[in-house]
Amino acid sequence: MDIADMLSPEGVLPALRVTSKKQALQEMARRAADVTGQPERAIFEVLVERERLGTTGVGYGIAIPHGKLSELDRLHCLFARLETPVEFDSIDEQPVDLICVLLAPEKAGADHLKALARVSRLLRDKAICDKLRGTDSRDGLYAILTESAASHAA
Amino acid sequence: MELANQLIFMGGALLLVSILAGVLSSRIGAPLLLVFLGLGMFFGEDGPIGISFDNFNQAYLIGSLALAIILFDGGLRTPYRSIKLAWAPASLLATVGVLITAGLTGLFAWAVLDFGLLPSLLVGAIVGSTDAAAVFLLLHQRGMDLKRRVGTTLEVESGVNDPMAIFLTIALAELVTTGVTDITWDIAQSFLLQLGVGAAFGLLGGYALTWLVNKLELAPGLYPVFVIAGAMVVFGGAQQLGGSGFLAVYLAGIIAGNKRLRANQLIRRFHDGIAWVCQIGMFLMLGFLVTPTSLLPDLLPAGLVALGLMFVARPLAVAICLAPFNFSREERLFIAWVGLRGAVPIFLAIIPLLQGVVGGMQYFNVAFIVVLSSLILQGWTVPWLARRLNIELPPTPEDKGKLDFELPSGFDREMVGYRIAQTSPMVNKSIDALRVPDRVRILALLRENVVVPRQLIKTLKPNDYLLTVAPPEQILLLDRQLLPRRRSGAKREDVTLGDFSFPGTTPLGALSDAYDLPVTKQEREMPLADFLRKRLGKTVSVGDRLPLGAIELVVRDLNDEGITEVGIWLEPAQPQLLPERLITLFHRATAFFRRGLPWVSTTHHETSADETQAKVDEAQLGKQENAVVPVKESKK
Repeated sequence: MDIADMLSPEGVLPALRVTSKKQALQEMARRAADVTGQPERAIFEVLVERERLGTTGVGYGIAIPHGKLSELDRLHCLFARLETPVEFDSIDEQPVDLICVLLAPEKAGADHLKALARVSRLLRDKAICDKLRGTDSRDGLYAILTESAASHAA
Repeated sequence: MELANQLIFMGGALLLVSILAGVLSSRIGAPLLLVFLGLGMFFGEDGPIGISFDNFNQAYLIGSLALAIILFDGGLRTPYRSIKLAWAPASLLATVGVLITAGLTGLFAWAVLDFGLLPSLLVGAIVGSTDAAAVFLLLHQRGMDLKRRVGTTLEVESGVNDPMAIFLTIALAELVTTGVTDITWDIAQSFLLQLGVGAAFGLLGGYALTWLVNKLELAPGLYPVFVIAGAMVVFGGAQQLGGSGFLAVYLAGIIAGNKRLRANQLIRRFHDGIAWVCQIGMFLMLGFLVTPTSLLPDLLPAGLVALGLMFVARPLAVAICLAPFNFSREERLFIAWVGLRGAVPIFLAIIPLLQGVVGGMQYFNVAFIVVLSSLILQGWTVPWLARRLNIELPPTPEDKGKLDFELPSGFDREMVGYRIAQTSPMVNKSIDALRVPDRVRILALLRENVVVPRQLIKTLKPNDYLLTVAPPEQILLLDRQLLPRRRSGAKREDVTLGDFSFPGTTPLGALSDAYDLPVTKQEREMPLADFLRKRLGKTVSVGDRLPLGAIELVVRDLNDEGITEVGIWLEPAQPQLLPERLITLFHRATAFFRRGLPWVSTTHHETSADETQAKVDEAQLGKQENAVVPVKESKK
């Protein structure tokens, strides 16, 4: 499963303006609702529930909120670059400015884990994160995410 | 007079050159000790400067002293916690392990050198023990943070295995010179004496030293000197009574290091410096001692002995000794490879010379070549291997910008000051966001020459200086929040502990719902921490991993009560020793054969293309046989 198969250019938010973790999740849930056709409320709740288990702020300013929705047709990915970093209870206590949301159908099983691992590995690459931080156009971000993902697949 | 001045100049110049060369060497990743040894050889007889030094008696003296101090320093830095974690495997390695290594290496020597059986076994004994100086230095060089139990096992092993090797060497050297074969009782007796007297002297010496340091009122600068003099007395005393001074001095160091010592930090800093001088001095001296040109005739056979030691004897010894313990395969492999030889063998090779064994010089040359090969081959590759085998831990925050004062003895608090750097996690945050552990007090903040009392501190700014009083065990928590993060030049994906992190209290069921884990009904209610403890056994340490379904759980953090933080790896990395292409090739080949032999393969995916079939096979292979397979999901 490539990032390009899960992420559409509409799912990229190049300069999201939020002031809190909650607001960030809300905004992304709203966009996810547009992209997936699922109710915004349900998406938001799934993400929040997962955060309750343990933060998805993986450190170095990156967060990967994720969760499963029973009605979803396939894996969906959304990406946001924040105008200003927000507190995210990250494991390194640093604020977050890059957020990648991953939503999976209830029965995605191994695909869900693989996709999540892929996203996680991609965003652990410092060079890619630096590039993402230095780009503010939707197409630019989309290109970095999908092309870098391809080179990361090997 | 002229000579004295020359010696002083040369001594100073050599130290300076060594330190500078050490700085350069870390750039190219060469093991420091190799650099010192190389410098010694360069400045020695065959080099352009031609310092000639072949007084083996002096070398023995300097070597013993340096080794004793290095071991004492190593003991000082070994907390009881680590000992508790590693004493069992380490002591097995240090006794049975040395015996097996020495025996097998001896047989190799017998096969390739034109020595008799006994002299060959003597060669094995000489190179039988791992070297504390090399292991300590290598494991701490370049801030490599190893999984606690692996690192400690190696360290403790190297600290306590010298008596065994020394005893074997002396016994065999005696056998070789006297030719008597009927002294088994004597041998056993002298071995017990080495261990018993060594241990007793070390324990008593350690306690006595601690007691004296805390009782005596001295000028502060004298405490470290007093301690080092004490260490020398412990070493020399044990040796004179027939015990192992090396064991004694290491044990004394451990005890002194774990007791609350007055002027503790002064002592540690001083010893740190002295231990460096000893490392440099000893390896320089050993470099002087050898005549490189005279090594040439022995190069090939001795090189073969070295290879036998590294690739057969040590791995076998490790495999046998660690069999009763639950080390992972990668950990065993790593421990087997870090059987570094160093000063001890070279220094032990002096014993046959001093005892007048015929052809003594050849022992020395062989030992030297073995050590050199080990330092080059193993020493150079250890950091690389640690990363490959997932033995390395993420870096802990740098100690830069932290100042630690010990309050007068009797208080179990320390005064700790932190300079807030641009990269501290807490920078520009409200002071209320700082997690202040129990019994920690924030005193004041120094900002631009103004003292801000606690009540008036609002946010932490770069270059602020925060003063706290904290009990030693809570300092780590403050460090994590206040110290700058280490700037890692390396890619950070090299060492992390999992994709995501959960508190140890998370019920397993919740995790199972999110990530489809195979968990029984009873286990669902169990907190992650308890589950891991149950599955991994009592000696859990950070970095320990447990495969569960398609993912892997990893211990991220723990305290005295149990595991506090657990990470998950969504795609467990398999250790990868061979180049990726080779592995792919290998799997193509095995996949081909498995398809060719229908009775081998049990699953069939009719529609899948070749690639996917190979992939499925790979994944299954990886799971079932636990083979060295990177789980790859490839192709566009």
